[in-house]
Amino acid sequence: MPSVFITGMGIVSALGIGTASQKEKLAAGVSGLGAASFLNSIHKTEFPFGEVPYSTEELFNQLSAKNQLQKSRLQALGALALEECMAGLKEKPAGIRQGLINATTVGGMTDIEDRYFKLIEPAHLEQDMSWASGLDCATGTEHLARQFQLTDFLTTISTACSSSANAIQLGARLLSQGMLDRVVCGGVDSLTRFTVNGFNSLKNLDRSVCRPFDAHRNGLNLGEGAAYLMLESEKSLEKTGNRPLAKLSGYANFNEAFHPTAPSPEGLGAYEAMKRTLDKAGLQPSDISYINAHGTATLNNDESESLAIRRLFGEAVPPFASTKAYTGHTLAASGAIEAVFSILSLRFQEVYPALNFETPIEATGLVPFQQYQSMALKHILSNSFGFGGNNASLLFSSYD
Amino acid sequence: MIKPVSIRAASAISAQDSFRRNELSEPIRTPSGNRFTYLEPNYSDYFTIMQLRRMSRITRLGLVTAIECLRDAGDFQPQAIITGTGKGSLQDTEKFMHAIREFAEGTLNPSPFIQSTYNSLNGLIGLHHQVNSYNSTYVHSGFSLEHALLDAVLQLNDNSIQTALVGSFEEMTPEHYIIKDKLDFWKKESSEPNAVMNRSLGAVSGEGTAFFFLDRQQDAACLQLVDLRLLFEPEEGHVISVLESLLSEHQLSWNQLDVYISGRNQDIRYEHYYEEVEQHLPASTHQLQFKHVSGEFDTAAGFGLWAAVKMAEKKQLFPALLRKKGNAESIRYMLLYNQYYGQHHSLYLLQLPLI
Repeated sequence: MPSVFITGMGIVSALGIGTASQKEKLAAGVSGLGAASFLNSIHKTEFPFGEVPYSTEELFNQLSAKNQLQKSRLQALGALALEECMAGLKEKPAGIRQGLINATTVGGMTDIEDRYFKLIEPAHLEQDMSWASGLDCATGTEHLARQFQLTDFLTTISTACSSSANAIQLGARLLSQGMLDRVVCGGVDSLTRFTVNGFNSLKNLDRSVCRPFDAHRNGLNLGEGAAYLMLESEKSLEKTGNRPLAKLSGYANFNEAFHPTAPSPEGLGAYEAMKRTLDKAGLQPSDISYINAHGTATLNNDESESLAIRRLFGEAVPPFASTKAYTGHTLAASGAIEAVFSILSLRFQEVYPALNFETPIEATGLVPFQQYQSMALKHILSNSFGFGGNNASLLFSSYD
Repeated sequence: MIKPVSIRAASAISAQDSFRRNELSEPIRTPSGNRFTYLEPNYSDYFTIMQLRRMSRITRLGLVTAIECLRDAGDFQPQAIITGTGKGSLQDTEKFMHAIREFAEGTLNPSPFIQSTYNSLNGLIGLHHQVNSYNSTYVHSGFSLEHALLDAVLQLNDNSIQTALVGSFEEMTPEHYIIKDKLDFWKKESSEPNAVMNRSLGAVSGEGTAFFFLDRQQDAACLQLVDLRLLFEPEEGHVISVLESLLSEHQLSWNQLDVYISGRNQDIRYEHYYEEVEQHLPASTHQLQFKHVSGEFDTAAGFGLWAAVKMAEKKQLFPALLRKKGNAESIRYMLLYNQYYGQHHSLYLLQLPLI
């Protein structure tokens, strides 16, 4: 595939605002999971959450430019990550076409759900009703795109937990075919009562902190956050002079058509997504230095992902771990958040410890990497699997 | 600029009798109040009662439309399934919000939550025909269908796939109608006949589902998607300049546009965009419109594109869509121009290949 370079990145998660805060906590093995403070739900102390530790107002106070944004937690999280993503880059040269590919599972649900039943009363009218558009997934994307001048192309993807991994893939395709010069790709989701009750109704929330790849794991913890990557083509780099942080060297999306919400037991989709990503990059399994696993800690995912890893890598499984025990499952944002973590690992040649692991899954015996360690890393595979059988993998490579 | 792809099959469920015989059958249905609503097919031809019980309204509509499109194409294994929807299953989203309130976040039925997920239909189509393929869902309002098409075309163009099923689906609910009414989406309700064609503020609400089977082979069907241009909140005059460059890149002039299909909805705020384009059209161009039979919704262009495919197959225009008859004797090039509340503008350049 034609080269796609990552020249900027920005992130907000339960580990804080900005990449520096993420790196520090990941290296120290400090999780962001705990009781929620800002989520409006009776479940907020019943389950651990990866909540971004600021109120919406506090988030807005940390933004330097916000004139185009609505008063929305979703948009505040997105804008903070975008601000960091764009901050290190040189000013946009004339003639560069740039866009935003955003991802979200429920758009501005957090901002609407408390007021929804007022909103649907025909007689209830306020001076300014514009906030009512927040239920449309496009709304947040458009406010963010206007704020950061990313309006030459903008779209929103929603494929559940693989959404932002798919956003990065579309970005790469648009660059490869010359439709855009550079494009910001990523995703954002804020914690909502809607989603918390949704996952609770599926009975896959753990009441304790989640235990990815442990035999006694008991479900996931939900999180929130946002992350964006600036993707540039070679042609764009010549004009912008930006220095790449890493390369996107492969990607794949594969639907396994097994079940509306559960993965196939043998991990067909996970296997195909990883295998096709390696094929696209022209690499062998032995070339992979590290796997950032999806590892949600649900009974189904971790077993099928483990089997897929075993099938692809055989006895030579590279070091791997899931960061869900740090951030919770941030749904549409997770692919981009973990892309940032992968790039941090490549940049600093270090891996971060898996948390809460004791006993390997019997069927595979896989043990995630549990120490902070400096390590020579060249290619990192990152997985995002979701509802609807949607499986996506990305491959990030170091840039020398 | 993209490379042309063929549209091998198209199917649509809409407010009109578009599905049963896969054409725009007369008589034309009128909206009830200010809303066009689906003329739903007979689902028992497709599903058992048990299956139906598990599926919500838009899921049934979308799945049936996709099934028929694949059947028409004679290929149940597309190499990609890509959908676009502004709102997904509104009914499920609302049902789950009500359940959370009613049962005070207690024990809830997960079905509405699962089906409210925007890509659930996409997953079900794959499941129904056991399609292991690329799969994605775009949820960007008036661009949702166009982005799904664009994603497919990019992959057809770079030869990573040979075929793709692309579709859009949309429903309107009483609750969401109220929300959008507060955002000035709709015309004031009127009891007079033909109120849908009155020039006034707002549009008449609609719903619709459309699926298309795309093929990389350029001569595989009656209609090609030659190019697609998307403009977000364009400045004054920008639509015309983009349209002119689109024509010149394909060595075409205005005179060669035999058919023009517009998304006119008689909303006085945004009609000027259509009028500017129409001022450039020669007398030969047949001018068509479709929102007076489909109503307005995020992915309404899907109905227009479906009509274009069907008219190309029959080599005949649908009389119900004719707004201004031109004198072009044959049809070669078509332009479909749709805009959604002045924000999302889509230009589709379509061609009937010379056989």
